[in-house]
Amino acid sequence: MNGTPGGSVVGFRFFGRLQGFLDRLRAEGVAVGVAAGVDLGRALGTLPILDRASVLEGCRATLAKSPGDLERIDRVFDAYWTAHGPPPVPPPSEAGPRPPDRRRRRRIGGVPPGASPSESEGRTRVDGRFSPDAPGAGHALAPVPAPELRRARAGARRFRRSVATLPGRRWQTSPDGAIDLRRTARSAARTAGEWVRLGRRSRAPRRADLVVLWDVSGSMREHTGSLCALVHSLARSVLRTRVYSFGNEIAEVTSMFRGLSYERSIPGLADRLAAAGGGTRIARCLGEFRRHWGATVRATTTVLVLSDGWDLDASLDLARELERIRARARRVVWLSPYAADPGFRPETAALKAALPHVDLLVGPADFPRSHGPARVRVVPAAFS
Amino acid sequence: MTAPTEQSDLAISVDAVLDALSRERYVIDRGLATAVYLAVRLEKPLLIEGEPGCGKTEIAKALAAASGAELIRLQCYEGLDASASLYEWDYPRQLLAIRLHERDRTTAELETEIYSERFLLRRPLLRALDGAGAARPVLLIDELDRADEEFEGLLLEVLSEFQVTVPELGTIRAKRVPLVILTSNRTRELGDAIKRRCLYAYIGYPTPEKEVEVLRQRLPELPPALAGEITRFVQRLRSEDGLAKRPGVAETLDWAAALLALGERSLRAPTVAETLGLLLKDARDLEGYRAGRVAELLALP
Repeated sequence: MNGTPGGSVVGFRFFGRLQGFLDRLRAEGVAVGVAAGVDLGRALGTLPILDRASVLEGCRATLAKSPGDLERIDRVFDAYWTAHGPPPVPPPSEAGPRPPDRRRRRRIGGVPPGASPSESEGRTRVDGRFSPDAPGAGHALAPVPAPELRRARAGARRFRRSVATLPGRRWQTSPDGAIDLRRTARSAARTAGEWVRLGRRSRAPRRADLVVLWDVSGSMREHTGSLCALVHSLARSVLRTRVYSFGNEIAEVTSMFRGLSYERSIPGLADRLAAAGGGTRIARCLGEFRRHWGATVRATTTVLVLSDGWDLDASLDLARELERIRARARRVVWLSPYAADPGFRPETAALKAALPHVDLLVGPADFPRSHGPARVRVVPAAFS
Repeated sequence: MTAPTEQSDLAISVDAVLDALSRERYVIDRGLATAVYLAVRLEKPLLIEGEPGCGKTEIAKALAAASGAELIRLQCYEGLDASASLYEWDYPRQLLAIRLHERDRTTAELETEIYSERFLLRRPLLRALDGAGAARPVLLIDELDRADEEFEGLLLEVLSEFQVTVPELGTIRAKRVPLVILTSNRTRELGDAIKRRCLYAYIGYPTPEKEVEVLRQRLPELPPALAGEITRFVQRLRSEDGLAKRPGVAETLDWAAALLALGERSLRAPTVAETLGLLLKDARDLEGYRAGRVAELLALP
């Protein structure tokens, strides 16, 4: 198709359809702002507009802000700019959120006494999905009450202090630190050269990078609200936090938290999680994470896995993936919503396979009662 | 080498960008060329993300060479701040000037004197705005993801208005809008504000055809058959599951150059095993592949 540069063929009707295209992109999760729309308009004024490939490239350059956006733009572009016009917007799902099944809670993380982990796993596999009550239902995400949010923030701060910090470049006075000769000498000058008091110092802690891998599969549905509050608090508390949600697939959701208040982050996140909720393929998702975002894990990075550990993939694969991530990261922490249950035993195949490669297994201690990650309980890896 | 293309020529069409960069032996696909063309034409910064070693930095060098413009590079790192990226006052010279003139000048005169452009140390961002050459300078802000988020805030004024404000001097506007290329390896997500001000492109691992073309352009003395073997091997290696760090195009070029230097005419398992360190930069990866997997990969049809 030979096109000519220019706006001569760009009519009012075309801009109407272009607006529809941008709306469609927004509905698919591409954050197209007004400025990007203006850029696209300017770009189309300089590109051969009758050349479909050129227009697509123009859209990609001006509207995308991440590799995920590029994929979505390709998909929507193909679907929208056809002879048949834009495809209809699918009607909202009629499947509403299901109330949590309290009977299943013990099955999910802590294996009930007398039942073998393999039996528990076997019972829950239905049609390739891991959670029998989850298929397609998605997550209904509502803001948690203010007291619970406060507890989540306190928990996140504690987590940051105890886990996600590194020794920094600066020094600070510390009664338990190494001897600070300079300070000691200066102090001695005030006492006629006598070393009356030893000054001590240690490295001031600085915040580590944090990568959060958040399981949003069906079995985690009843914890989504609380964990969302925790993840938002972590993103606020740790400067460099990247968040990925996973179930059968993994996707980055950092932008859903960045720069947004908790209340403002909820609607966008609810949209993203609306289609989540099937089974869990932790190993496959960790593999995808390592391949696509492996560079985000550095020697200063703490990797936090938020999952109950119910997995459809082979546990050996999970162990291998975690081992690889562990080799690059400073620390790998696994937070299970059930780890603090009195009857909890890390006996699911996935958790058993994961523990040798996990530095800490933590659980929000009073999670089942308060639904708030109030304090962090630390269980050493040797627990396995 | 051919005469440089005028930068205004790059704003003619996407084909002009393709031609200019191919003359610099930079192999570029049409998608990236469109993004470059739009960056030149719309005078907007271009953010390029992608896998390490796949040509993000090289494109800025190629653009500068193609248009005969000065390449101004700002390498980002943790702790980078305004004094290292934008400007700084030359304090020793200011002190010297004060000592020299403290008797024959009033305080007000001295103050005006020492806060003049004569005592301003221009760092890369200011130099790019001040560009005095014939062509628009190419400003490369490399590996922005390594810098702190505060530094992104500093860039906002520069990238949207192409101006900086020095409190003592006022606002300095760009004489000519530089062509700005930002690169990121995605070790962290950049802020939305900075992304909004930029066009976007992603460079992934190349297709086999593109990789052969890169080898042909960059190492013309490499036998075509060996180039094909190298590409096949690297592509297989890249598709292997479990590598901590996959080799980029830069590693392929280094490896090909090494094989040339060793006088190899085709890939042999012992030589590949001995030189594998040029492709794999992780001890575990190397360990796994030296144990015999190399021969298996070479034997694949």
